[in-house]
Amino acid sequence: MEEITNPVIQEKGQFDTILFVSVLCLILVGVFMVYSATSVVAPSRTEAAAASLTDLRYLKKHLASIILGFVLMSVMYKMNSESLKKMALPLLILSILLLLAVKIPGIGATVNGARRWIRVLGITFQPSELVKLSLVLYMAKYLSGGSFVPDSVKAFAKPVGLMLVLQAMLLLQPDFGSAAIVGVITFALLFLAGVRIKYILSLGVVLIPVVVKLIMEPYRLKRVLVFLNPWADEKRSGFQLIQSFVALGNGGLDGVGIGKSTQKLFFLPEAKTDFIFAIVGEETGLIGAAFVVLLFFIVFLRGIFIVNRLKGGFYMYTAAGITLLISIQAVINMAVVSGLLPTKGLPLPFISYGGSSMVLNAAAIGILLNLSEGEVIVRHESPVITKEEADYKVNRRKGRIFTYAK
Amino acid sequence: MNRRFIFIYGLIFVGFFVLLARLFDIMVLKHDKFVKKSENQRMAEVDVQVRRGIILDRLGRRLAVNLENNSVYLDKTNYNESDKRLQEVSDIIGVSFNELLTQVRGKKNFVWLKRKIPIEETDKLQEMRLSGIGLMAEPKRHYSLGYMAAHVLGFVNIDNKGLEGVEAVYDKELVDLGGKYFVERDARGNMFYNTNENERTGNTLTLTLDQGLQYIVEKELDDAMEKWRASAATAIMMDPYTGEILALSNRPTFDPNFPGKYGPASRRNRAITDFYEPGSTFKIVTAAGVLEENLVKPDDRIDCLGGAIEVGGKRIKDAHPHGVLTFMEVIQKSSNVGTIKLAQRLGKQRLHGYIKKFGFGERTGIDLPGEIPGRLRNPERWSGVSIGAIPIGQEVAATPLQVLTAYSIVANGGYKVSPSVVKEITDTDGKAHPISKKYDGTEQVISKKTIDILKNAFTMVTQEGGTATFARVEGNLVAGKTGTAQIFDRAQGRYSHTDFISSFVGFVPVDKPVFSMIVVVWKPRGAIYGGIVAAPVFKNIATKALTYLNVPKEEKLKNTTLVVENASTGKKPHN
Repeated sequence: MEEITNPVIQEKGQFDTILFVSVLCLILVGVFMVYSATSVVAPSRTEAAAASLTDLRYLKKHLASIILGFVLMSVMYKMNSESLKKMALPLLILSILLLLAVKIPGIGATVNGARRWIRVLGITFQPSELVKLSLVLYMAKYLSGGSFVPDSVKAFAKPVGLMLVLQAMLLLQPDFGSAAIVGVITFALLFLAGVRIKYILSLGVVLIPVVVKLIMEPYRLKRVLVFLNPWADEKRSGFQLIQSFVALGNGGLDGVGIGKSTQKLFFLPEAKTDFIFAIVGEETGLIGAAFVVLLFFIVFLRGIFIVNRLKGGFYMYTAAGITLLISIQAVINMAVVSGLLPTKGLPLPFISYGGSSMVLNAAAIGILLNLSEGEVIVRHESPVITKEEADYKVNRRKGRIFTYAK
Repeated sequence: MNRRFIFIYGLIFVGFFVLLARLFDIMVLKHDKFVKKSENQRMAEVDVQVRRGIILDRLGRRLAVNLENNSVYLDKTNYNESDKRLQEVSDIIGVSFNELLTQVRGKKNFVWLKRKIPIEETDKLQEMRLSGIGLMAEPKRHYSLGYMAAHVLGFVNIDNKGLEGVEAVYDKELVDLGGKYFVERDARGNMFYNTNENERTGNTLTLTLDQGLQYIVEKELDDAMEKWRASAATAIMMDPYTGEILALSNRPTFDPNFPGKYGPASRRNRAITDFYEPGSTFKIVTAAGVLEENLVKPDDRIDCLGGAIEVGGKRIKDAHPHGVLTFMEVIQKSSNVGTIKLAQRLGKQRLHGYIKKFGFGERTGIDLPGEIPGRLRNPERWSGVSIGAIPIGQEVAATPLQVLTAYSIVANGGYKVSPSVVKEITDTDGKAHPISKKYDGTEQVISKKTIDILKNAFTMVTQEGGTATFARVEGNLVAGKTGTAQIFDRAQGRYSHTDFISSFVGFVPVDKPVFSMIVVVWKPRGAIYGGIVAAPVFKNIATKALTYLNVPKEEKLKNTTLVVENASTGKKPHN
């Protein structure tokens, strides 16, 4: 084996200002929109009616969770990146315990028929948000760990098993949105880690019973597919989506003006949480909505830069997982609001009202900022490819050698 | 970069792109469609509840205002409440549960459940946060003085539309702009007002009435009604120079805040809707006619034939027989025989001409609804008796207002005036628009010379030897004329012996009257003559009114005027 000596250069990263400012902008947009969605600016003859609609409690809680989010963000940013790795497993166990705690009467809280929250000492927390982040960390650790062999079925089955357990618990709440995200993130990370495509595809078999069930009971299918034609059942299952369309369509190019949304007046369900993007569209128009899309796209791009710099290992998978987690949630949420995907029940990161989502997404950005600044070893300064590397490439194409130095 | 990474990134990138395309489709291409949809679901068409303008008296005191009330409505498309909650609603608004249930199950999407209840009572309803049952503020008309000036003000229906009085005549001006307007509402049916259309207030009406004078008139009419146990009474006070009505009151009356509680008889404005045979007060026409035509001089002597005259085969008598009287005395003592003899000098045609000149037989044109023209036949259709009956106020019928308007011509020096109750309309910008009238007091119909003689004659009526000494006011000279008319009993086909209409019409002070006034009392009991029944009412009102208006007392009268206090034991004046 030829030995090519290359100087090993350590490169210190930079604090990603663009990422930080973009997230800051998103949070700011969120503050305005949550305030707008929970208050009535329109002059009302019956002042009592206006007062009953204007509820500053939401804004206060939202601001409180932002502050908590920034605290956690800076904690994550300052944290020794090695301890992130150590945290992964305890965090996952904690989140599973919390998911179970949701079912304990007296701790679990039910809202709109779903038991997704735990309430202790007046503080409400949604464990599914923690599940998403801890899953990313655990998966990153697992994929970068020595026990993971991309080619092995066993190595593939383990995380899939974990995923199914998490999904089962989430579906019991029920929380379809989080279950879907857990699935997407698990598969995306496995895919990135290089597991065989056929493994991933073969798991499609698991979906067969689901498909059969949907065909056997068409009303279930109908409910899922209502987003394709909400007008068919305008008053019931299509109502929320149509109201979302009305909000967006009413906004037009430049919007009806901040605070002047009419859809928030109880026409649009979940206006301050999952469907807040519709209110953004109504009040600020396509210009404002596209601005929000652009901010998420910038977050996505900065995530890619950070991932690229990290090259491989735990940090890279963590960065990739977090980037995907935030980007995919944002895209799915906005796609649901605009009727491209079936209604799931996912918040729009940084903008939707909801403390757990805000705090944990902020923490995730803290980790990303931490990693953007971290030192990485630039392995190859020389354009010459090492023997191993050449072998790796050749063999990889054939799918034989998998033990390239980690 | 690993191809798998590129693949995932590519997917997400496509996601962003498709999202933007979709947003462009919904927000720009389908913008119009959704704007319409949004408007349809949040805008509700509602009748304009333009606040009616307020009504003021001539000095700006409020007679009719608006109160804030709430109306409860059912918006069936959004209705989704349990029966238990509906029962609670029923208890709060005082509408039976079954009635509410009928509305809920009915076909109409928008129904009023209860109109205009005070805001305090609907607080509970507000707290219940009902879906599909909402509150809408509706102004309710309020007449702050209750029954005072009820017949002038009139009243409105539940939709604030004027039905009577100036509320009806000036309905258009009071609401100014009407029609429909749109309100925004939320999905729960709460209404939001994005326009200030509902805040629009109509024009302000300033009446010619004086609240103080009105109060005096109302009070005295109440007393008279009680004293004479009359079936009805009317008093009108007018500024004789302009025709402006200073006070107008009828008995029976009603409270315009609750018009439904009263019958039509109470709501009728007798001053203009009821005619009666004016009796002796009608002698003004003959007297003015013969003077204008120079057919008589004030001190000419007229033989009253001992109290009876035969006209057209019918005997017409005086209430008290008279021998030879001067022209002035004929008026003072109200001799029928004397008046008829004077009228015979005038003849049918000229008499009819003067009747018209004084405004009888046609509407005065007052800005109140329901005025009637009275009854006056053309001379061609007069019978043989007519030349005897009409001069003394029979065979003709007039409204109290017509009689008062005729006497105002004498009071103001011979000028014709149109009576009115609205002085000006003040628009929302604060600009005042005076009301224009047919006769503004510049057209002289009777000469100054005649008026001076008539004023003296009518002053004599209230002096010793006249028929209306009870009308005298301390400190000022009153001019006027009594009237006592029989009521034609249709059932018996002849004049009733028990039912009379007693009236007194006059003005004070004689030289420069501050007001002219008529008092008419229908079917008084205990006395019948205008000089006994109506004249004291005139006196009482005039005394207080002159004090209220700060009219100085004339020194020379102070010692000479004797006021007879005891009406019932006093010498019985003649009709």
